Amino acid sequence: MVLLQQLFRSIKRIFFNVIIFSLTLCCLSMPAIAVETIPVEIPYFQKILDRGYFKVGIPSIDTPPFFYFDQKTDQMEGSDIDIVRNLAKNIGVRAVFDRNSKSYNGLLKRTGNDEFDLTIGKLSTFYKRMQDAHPHEYMQFRHALLANRKIISRLQGQVPDNKLAPILLSSGIKIGVIYDSSYVQFASDLFPSATTLTFEDWESCKTALLEKRVDAIYRDATEVKKIVYEEPNLSLDYVPILFDDKIDHISMYVSSKINPDISPMLDFYISQDLGIKSDSQIIDEYSEFFKPSNKSN
Amino acid sequence: MLLKNNFTFKYSVIRGSLKKLRSLKAFVFYILPISLVLGLVFPQASGSLNSLGLSLIQLISFPAIPLVLAAVVLSTHSILTISKSKNQTFNFTSRLFITLSILVIFVSLFALLLALYQKPGVLSPEGKLSIGRYMLDIADINISLATIDGGLTDNFKWFKDILPINIINDASSNETLKVITGSCLMGWGLSLLTIEKAEPLLSFIRSVYEVSLKVLDELLLIAPLVIICLIAGSFATISSEMIVALLNLTICMLLVSIASLGVSRLIYKRFTSSAERQKLPDNPADSVYLLGLSTGSSLACYPAIIKSMEGMGRDTDQSEVAASLSLLVTNMGNIIYNIVAIMFALNLFEVKLSPSILLETLILGIVTGISAAGLTGVSVVPTIGLALTALALPIPPVLVLLLAVDPILTLPRAATTAVLSMAICTICSDRKNSDDSEINTYKANLIEN
Repeated sequence: MVLLQQLFRSIKRIFFNVIIFSLTLCCLSMPAIAVETIPVEIPYFQKILDRGYFKVGIPSIDTPPFFYFDQKTDQMEGSDIDIVRNLAKNIGVRAVFDRNSKSYNGLLKRTGNDEFDLTIGKLSTFYKRMQDAHPHEYMQFRHALLANRKIISRLQGQVPDNKLAPILLSSGIKIGVIYDSSYVQFASDLFPSATTLTFEDWESCKTALLEKRVDAIYRDATEVKKIVYEEPNLSLDYVPILFDDKIDHISMYVSSKINPDISPMLDFYISQDLGIKSDSQIIDEYSEFFKPSNKSN
Repeated sequence: MLLKNNFTFKYSVIRGSLKKLRSLKAFVFYILPISLVLGLVFPQASGSLNSLGLSLIQLISFPAIPLVLAAVVLSTHSILTISKSKNQTFNFTSRLFITLSILVIFVSLFALLLALYQKPGVLSPEGKLSIGRYMLDIADINISLATIDGGLTDNFKWFKDILPINIINDASSNETLKVITGSCLMGWGLSLLTIEKAEPLLSFIRSVYEVSLKVLDELLLIAPLVIICLIAGSFATISSEMIVALLNLTICMLLVSIASLGVSRLIYKRFTSSAERQKLPDNPADSVYLLGLSTGSSLACYPAIIKSMEGMGRDTDQSEVAASLSLLVTNMGNIIYNIVAIMFALNLFEVKLSPSILLETLILGIVTGISAAGLTGVSVVPTIGLALTALALPIPPVLVLLLAVDPILTLPRAATTAVLSMAICTICSDRKNSDDSEINTYKANLIEN
């Protein structure tokens, strides 16, 4: 009886060992499932694939809803960020963002120097920038002023809105713009008689307007409207003036070196997947960013 | 015959019921609650309600132009011809203009003082936020760089705007101010003709007047429905926060309106004899005020004013002249409204109220109020644009806010105009006395000549 039990134990032990050995043999003999890496024909894209990421230049100052650092997700978020991430995904890599540029024009210089694959960040298109990098338009925003109502009414008098343009453009009002941004040039071109004062950022421009150091501040419609949407009580004293036929063409930029390679893909992506969006569409789609802030409630 | 009798019976019953809705009790207990409930329960219907209300106003306004034309022609003709003597004509005319001037200045000063006390336009932070939210996107300025230069400005445009071109064309284009001027000229022309030559046209114009008056009287039966539609539409559009923010303005206007009723009642007691007062069951100022308040139309009160004057035994022709001028030209409801609205704008933009600003407000309120002559309803509101420009205040946000509550403010505005017009008629019109025979002799002399 004891002998029989010992025999059974041995048989069981042998049986399990055989099973384990067989399984191990099977696993080792299975061919490995490897990611197929088929090389691409365009060297530039091969370089990106080898690198594993798409390098993107972004301005350093947060500009929601276009690009901003989200504390909750601990990464960059925004409409421009989504655009670039989708493009990178289509190529087959991830997007990596560089925010070390000190100014908008400095960012374009670095782009032209081939430091990025692409630069995006609600960047206006104008001739000076186009000397550094190649633009690919993806949004169109109306130029806008946020102006002191009393100043405008003094200029306007009984003149109807549709005849205000010549009076406004020839007036000597004080206009605030962001330093080293495209709007410095735009203000100089559109308001030759006005006094243009530059400020560090948009928040400083707004403060200058509220403190009456300037009569109006100048940027695109999304930024101007955002101020009154966030603080509706300001719409009594300050009026958004929207230039229906003066458009800020927002582009992403690439260097002249890589433009021949990336341009067809980029243009296809913009025309087929994105479409050129207007300021009204952005305000509608990202309405959560155009709501009263807590300080106005 | 039976069907006709049944129809007549049913129409008279309906007519009687609808007339009862034009009382203060009906307004407070039926019209206002129904409007509020409709506006709050069916906010999505605000567009339709507004549209229906404006269409009904268009219907009620149908007899307005012929009535204005006929009334002004007959009044001008009467004032220049049918009187005992030129001396009497002069006395009446001078009395009329002096009364109008004094009353305009008095009520304007009163409105200014009340607005200073009531402070319309002074907002709490929550009120400012509500108004700011309401104005988002509405009060933006959209401009195009491709603006064509309009050429030289015409300094006499305002004068051209009141001169008639073709009275039939002006009447069909609803140019009330031009119709009034043209009618005055026609009345003057008729007064220069002999009575045989003038009589056929005068008879025709009198018929037009009677028919227009009758049609207006019948159409005013639907006035409560108009008010329900407009107030409901207004409540559906503006939020409760906005109503609270603009409550001060509404209360100010109501108080001025009630004060005008008080002034009119006082004038009625002071400028009528006890014999005249005994001829009427009650103070006609009350019924005229309620009619204006419940219909929102001062012109609707014209027949009631004339009937009251006739009932008291006053000269009908002089009453017609006084009522026409005060209702159509020196529309005191508009003057008072404009003064209150300008004060509203000054407080809204926190302008310091110096004596010079207050004097400017008074003058501008009177001028812009008179410039609204011939305009009715919501078209009165933009006339304060001139005053706002002179005071360097932004026009669009003020107009947006005033237009939001105009369906409510138009009621006391109309009531004020009507009741003060009643007061002017009471002061200016002579008593009809036994010297009627002298009038007949004078008429006979005219025919001979």
